Amino acid sequence: MGSKRNRLQEDRLFKELKSLMGKDVLIITESDQLNLFGQTFRPIFCGRLVEVYHGHIQLFPVIIKMVNAPFFEFPTPLCIPIEKIAQFTMDFDCETPFPLT
Amino acid sequence: MPNNDGYYVKAPTINDIHDQTLIKYFEDWVGRKVIILVSSFPFVFIGVIAEVIDDFVVVDVETTSISQLEDREWFIHIHDIEVFYIDEGEGPRIPDLKDGD
Amino acid sequence: MKRCYHVVAIPIRIVLNNFGDYNPNGMMYVLKENEHKVRELVKKHPFTPVDLVQPLVIRANEGDEVEILFENQLPFATGMNFQEADYDVQTSDGANVGVNENTLVDCGEQTLYQINAYHQGVYFFSDLGNPASSDQGSNINGLFGALFVQARGSSWTDPIKGGCIESGMYADIHHPFLPSFREYAWIFHDEMPTVDLTGNKPLDPVTNQERESTHAINYRYEPLENRKKLIDEGVVCPDCDGEEVHHDSWVFGDPASPILRGYVGDPATIRIVHGGVKETHAFHYHVHQWFDDPTNQDSEIFDAQAISPQTWYDIKPFYGLGSLQGAIGDAIVHCHLYPHFAVGMWGINRIFDTLQDGNQCYPNGVSIDALQPLPDRPRPPSPTKERPGFPNFIPGKVGCKAPRPPLGIVGGRGLTELEKNAAVRNPRPGAVFADPCAVADAPVVKEFNISVIQLPLIYNRQGWNDPKGRIFVKDEDIEDVCAGRKEPEPLIIHMTAGTCIRINFTNRLPHVADGDVFQLVTRTYEVGMHIHFVKFDVLVNDGANVGWNYDSSVLPGETIRYEYFADVELKAWFFHDHLFANYHQQHGMFGSGVVHPRFAKLLDSCSGEEVDSGTQVTATQPLIPDYRDLTLMVHDFAFLYDKDGCPLNPPKFPSSPDDPGLFGVNYKCEPLQFRLNTPECDPAYSFSSFVNGDPVTPILHCYKGDSLRIRLLQGAQEESHSFNIHGLRWKSERPDVESRFDSQQHIVISESYTFETYAKNSGDYLWTFETEEDLWNGLWGLIRAYDEEVNFLIPLPDQVAPPKRTQPLPECTGSPPAPPSVIESAAPPNAPLKRFEIVAFQIPILYSNFGERDPFGIVFALEEDMNDILKGRKDPEPLIIRANVGDEVEVHLTSFLNFNQFPYLDGIWPYPPVKEQAFYPPSVRISLHPQLIDYDVKTSSGETVGFNPDQTAGPNETVTYRWYVDTPVGTCGMWDMTDIRNHRSLGTYGAFIAEPRGTEYYDPYTLEPVNSGAQVILVNPLLPVTREFVLIMYDGARLVDKAKQLIVDPVDGILLLNEIDPDLVDTYDNGSRGFNYRTERLINRYTKRAVLKDLFSSNVHGDPSTPLLEAYKGDPITIRLLNPSERRRAHGFHIHSHYWNSDDTDLTSQVRSFSPEIVTGFTADLRIHYGAGSFYNLSGDYMYRSGNIRWDLEQGMWGIMRVYDALQAHLPPLEK
Repeated sequence: MGSKRNRLQEDRLFKELKSLMGKDVLIITESDQLNLFGQTFRPIFCGRLVEVYHGHIQLFPVIIKMVNAPFFEFPTPLCIPIEKIAQFTMDFDCETPFPLT
Repeated sequence: MPNNDGYYVKAPTINDIHDQTLIKYFEDWVGRKVIILVSSFPFVFIGVIAEVIDDFVVVDVETTSISQLEDREWFIHIHDIEVFYIDEGEGPRIPDLKDGD
Repeated sequence: MKRCYHVVAIPIRIVLNNFGDYNPNGMMYVLKENEHKVRELVKKHPFTPVDLVQPLVIRANEGDEVEILFENQLPFATGMNFQEADYDVQTSDGANVGVNENTLVDCGEQTLYQINAYHQGVYFFSDLGNPASSDQGSNINGLFGALFVQARGSSWTDPIKGGCIESGMYADIHHPFLPSFREYAWIFHDEMPTVDLTGNKPLDPVTNQERESTHAINYRYEPLENRKKLIDEGVVCPDCDGEEVHHDSWVFGDPASPILRGYVGDPATIRIVHGGVKETHAFHYHVHQWFDDPTNQDSEIFDAQAISPQTWYDIKPFYGLGSLQGAIGDAIVHCHLYPHFAVGMWGINRIFDTLQDGNQCYPNGVSIDALQPLPDRPRPPSPTKERPGFPNFIPGKVGCKAPRPPLGIVGGRGLTELEKNAAVRNPRPGAVFADPCAVADAPVVKEFNISVIQLPLIYNRQGWNDPKGRIFVKDEDIEDVCAGRKEPEPLIIHMTAGTCIRINFTNRLPHVADGDVFQLVTRTYEVGMHIHFVKFDVLVNDGANVGWNYDSSVLPGETIRYEYFADVELKAWFFHDHLFANYHQQHGMFGSGVVHPRFAKLLDSCSGEEVDSGTQVTATQPLIPDYRDLTLMVHDFAFLYDKDGCPLNPPKFPSSPDDPGLFGVNYKCEPLQFRLNTPECDPAYSFSSFVNGDPVTPILHCYKGDSLRIRLLQGAQEESHSFNIHGLRWKSERPDVESRFDSQQHIVISESYTFETYAKNSGDYLWTFETEEDLWNGLWGLIRAYDEEVNFLIPLPDQVAPPKRTQPLPECTGSPPAPPSVIESAAPPNAPLKRFEIVAFQIPILYSNFGERDPFGIVFALEEDMNDILKGRKDPEPLIIRANVGDEVEVHLTSFLNFNQFPYLDGIWPYPPVKEQAFYPPSVRISLHPQLIDYDVKTSSGETVGFNPDQTAGPNETVTYRWYVDTPVGTCGMWDMTDIRNHRSLGTYGAFIAEPRGTEYYDPYTLEPVNSGAQVILVNPLLPVTREFVLIMYDGARLVDKAKQLIVDPVDGILLLNEIDPDLVDTYDNGSRGFNYRTERLINRYTKRAVLKDLFSSNVHGDPSTPLLEAYKGDPITIRLLNPSERRRAHGFHIHSHYWNSDDTDLTSQVRSFSPEIVTGFTADLRIHYGAGSFYNLSGDYMYRSGNIRWDLEQGMWGIMRVYDALQAHLPPLEK
């Protein structure tokens, strides 16, 4: 009974995400801040969902919402482990300006 | 087995599946270049995946934020990785970061 | 990687602007490859600025080794001392300190400096071979520069031509993983000796007196006085007055001062560096905001920020250039200290919306340099005839004042065709070329009708008044305020986050401001409401007249409509006039808007009715604790008269910027000279409401347990102030719970702080602007926390209602209160108790090996040491005591003060001076007030305040305090509060250090356990054994020399001073200074041996008198740094080749090698990274010192940290 429910849940999120392939999503992960060569930023990512796996998803192109450069496009795709995602929203227009502080 | 609330939780849980498939993904790409961001020091690793041991990925690190910590193998807990990208050979390349460019 | 630069120090003529003001004896660092070129260019262009004459900026990446081949072409030994860097002091200190090798370079010689860059930021470098503060010194003449250390893997290109650059103030920085950004050097400096084209000191055309001293950026400044001459001579803008157009490029073309160019949305970093010698400046940047600490995403948001000499910070504007709303146009960048701003300390951030390829021109025909688009940003569109881009769509006329904005002025004009093409989709008043409110969908709109009016303001009960007060006021309050039914106060308007704010702003001022003893007649015919923080369209809504923008001010009788967006919960935003601020800001023309959390409701704290303005309101919100919102706006240069019409502290001539007038807080002051109402005229009761009644200054009302948000702003005009609350504390970075606790804040004009705290106990809490002159002249008041209900204060709705009143409210009796009957402890019952028997007594204090002393010194000491000190067996030093977290501290303080042992028995204290001198006889009472730790203000705050009981001790009396060390607050200042005039200069201060639980303290030389002292070894079973050095940076001391002659510092200590300008120093520059009752004035060393390069050398002069901090290489070190003394001039602090986290409790905080803005009440805990000798653990002598060349360093504010590599007989090693 329990395992059936798990499978259903798994299928449902996976399917949900699969159905979003090619769409823009806004994803926030769990850390307070990240640090890339001294540039700190909150882990807020907006980009096109190009791959969906059971353990992670991949965004490309992907914007890291740095408060001093809110439309900075990262040079490579970024993969985000599902277990690190704190929250996400679907069909988000990545061009939308919104406050980050 | 029932927990205190009377719910049945059977392994593997949905979280286990997420975690396990992420490990698998790293295993599939041994030998490839990866960029990894973690929220703990030293925040970023770039290098080649040497192997995967349990839930640790061993990376032959070429670049991190501190030069003294480079050119050595780092054992990185896969489940502490916040975001990453593995160069599978088809997508965008991970840029080379050379001092003095 | 290794980077090599060949740097030469050369003499150079520095032309500071296009009017030909110049420094004939300038000095600069330059790359060798540019040396010949720059000398030739200057020879060819003796009266115009030469681009290559600029402070040297070089670059490297984090982790790099930088090798500098340094060559000296100046006629004295000089060097390059790098801050932030790791290096060997024996080869690369660029100084001659202690027993180190001399690493200065004689004229014509060379040396090799090798430094390592282990963290990003600004590695400021300057000369220490000639530390004179006078016109003969090196730093004042320009001998400074910076190494900018970038993220690893960065590269940099020329923003105009593209391609690599070796040096230069502006660069585009690129990185494979990070956004490219514009990097701008913004190097403030001050006091540079300057003459005009004729070789004479420049005059002010209005006063015909010498103008304000030079305050410049990157060797350039653009004085109002020069531009005004063109108006007076009819060259431009004949209908203009001066100040209202002096930033106007339509009238004058662009300034010589920096123009930081970029495209809208470009990421940018302005590296703010203070290369000057004296002033703490106020950096302000229109339209933009940034993190106080760019390495901490949880730090406070700023849009104005102080900077003191030889310090730096990075400004990374949120959302890139133009901010969230994408504003295009000219955003002025300036020092907000108004006299500095007027004399030209400003520049422009020019935000283009079209591509600049070098083929375009400004409206006056001057060609626009090309600007490479950043490679990772969309390319801006090319300009077309229909859409020419900023500034060419603006219908201005060259030589005339900027045009008024379309749509904004009631009854004004619409849009031209070109303006329509450039406008947003829905242009409306105040939002024509950017639409900030469109950031939200259908935001709440809040409209205010605000006017500026002139009216008399009464500052206190003695009738001190400003007959020409000028204030912002809501239209609906004008009648009540003018009729005296409503007390005038700074206008504080309130709104919630996400609000679109609309202002209908009306100019009700007279066309002409009359002349008087303070100011000459001025035609202040235009006024605007310039706002900070909120999002707006800078072209039409800046409330200013800047660059090629519109003039968004209005004439008398006119109304203009402004629109802003409060995007997130910010804090308090400052507003003021930007057109004639030099004339009327100090008359009260400032206010603030407070952005509350969404869904908050603001209530009148007395009636409970909903309000949208007021300095004290009550805020309720369904999900967060309700709070009292309390605003204090401090200002200086208040032009006050006494009740008989005599001016108070008038200037030598009208319109002089030389510190005229006095001070106010919310247009009130409560001078201590009027609070001597005991029969003995005892200053100890000056703050007592029993004796003198409540002060007229704000009493911030709350109930015990209420949450408080205290908004602190400074409205005018030039000076630093130091805000303290006695008995409350707050997190230094409000959004970051990991940040340290503070109970003090340095502030300059336009800065804004919010302190979140709560009133744990009932009673009266003293808030102060704590420097002596501020406090003396009345900048203090109370926070009154009631324990029972009062009928003029609603309870906070989410708090338990206060009990019904059983006791009548206390009243003024004219007599000092009794001591408390019971001293409740804040500690839990089982807390370990530490008792200190402390005495205060008078004893001469020897301040230096040159025989400088304070014959009237007053010290605090442990009772057990008193006899030894009196007998000369122990040197007096500031009392430093310690307890551990969790300890209860019981202090018994006894006064042994003797009236006849004070220097000025007639009650007039002449030196160091204060403004508005008056009778205030010495008190023989004493008290001890501690910062930051926990206690009940009614019994243990160490001061007699409001309606609290007496907490002072008279001669041979003992007072008891009970403190609780509830949390690891580290360094706490301690000082006497009975008599701030007659005591503090004589040494009545010390420190309390809160150490971690389980810590024991040992003498570093005997290893005996100790319970006081500035230097100890800390031993804790779970923490590294650490050497702790307490440095009390003091100022305002009154010393005499060996011949018993009074030393009048700073003037008596100035090196190479040719002529003494009687107006050289301000009141608050006076007094001697150093560390821990010691000083090492360089003048003594110079008199003994007149060799500049040897001034810091122990080989020549022996070790300085200041504390010698001794350690073995690698020893863990904590420096406890504080300033509990008295003067308003802010200091910086720096240790050579060592660095630390700016916030010791937060490892994500910025790493840096200095502590900035040190004034009364400042405390910091410096946990030195990597221990003694820094990263490489190298032995040697490391100088610790003030960053103020003028007037700290030569006046003795320096010392040595000596790091040994071999065991010394006198210094036991730390046991590992």
